[in-house]
Amino acid sequence: MSGRPARFNQATLIDTTPLPSDIPPVTEIGSSSAPLLSASFFIGARCKPYNDDFMQCKSESAGKGEVECLKEGRRVTRCARSVIEDVNKHCLEEFRKHWTCLDNNNQQLWQCRPAEWKLNKCVFNNLKLEKVIPDTPAGETPVHLKNRQTYSHHGP
Amino acid sequence: MGVPFEALIPYGIMLAMFGVTGAGLSKIRHMQNGGKRARHSVDQWDRVMMDRDRRLTGYLRGQTDNPSAPAGFELNNPWRVSR
Repeated sequence: MSGRPARFNQATLIDTTPLPSDIPPVTEIGSSSAPLLSASFFIGARCKPYNDDFMQCKSESAGKGEVECLKEGRRVTRCARSVIEDVNKHCLEEFRKHWTCLDNNNQQLWQCRPAEWKLNKCVFNNLKLEKVIPDTPAGETPVHLKNRQTYSHHGP
Repeated sequence: MGVPFEALIPYGIMLAMFGVTGAGLSKIRHMQNGGKRARHSVDQWDRVMMDRDRRLTGYLRGQTDNPSAPAGFELNNPWRVSR
């Protein structure tokens, strides 16, 4: 499944062969795009070592990463799944409001800052995970903490 | 001497026609997107994510925040073949 979209395809093939039994099975994450985007910075805050390991394995394996990096990929899936389970357990209402807002606004994070501030506060109080945007220049407020988001639908 | 309102009636008619068309199109797009605003500027990342949403929930704009995927999700990503 490369990055190039399929051209001239007229049929699809679904391969139902299961994975070999020596690979430990891990349930895939069942969240769709808006909840994943909403929880993405918290997944990054908790799972940074596993994610960095996986990305390093993929870039070093030179094209064979789909087969050789399965172990790191399992770790990434388990960690992300733990973050989503914890957010569901403690902050379900704010989480749902934020991703419903994102879904209505073309998945643009800057349209939904008020709901995001409430979610960040709840997650920080319960799970001690903080959203940090990497490579913010020092001395400047990060963009998600600014009071006024130009061009958003909700005005300054 | 009052405002000649009869001269403004055609402008009113044009405004009403554009307004009705715009509102009707917006309502149709709303209904087509499952009660949500339509997505715009959709790029390859968004297309792949929307395809994943359709595999997860059955609807292109369906969303769920379940941590576990339903059974069979690992297998329902199709290979696109050209024959």
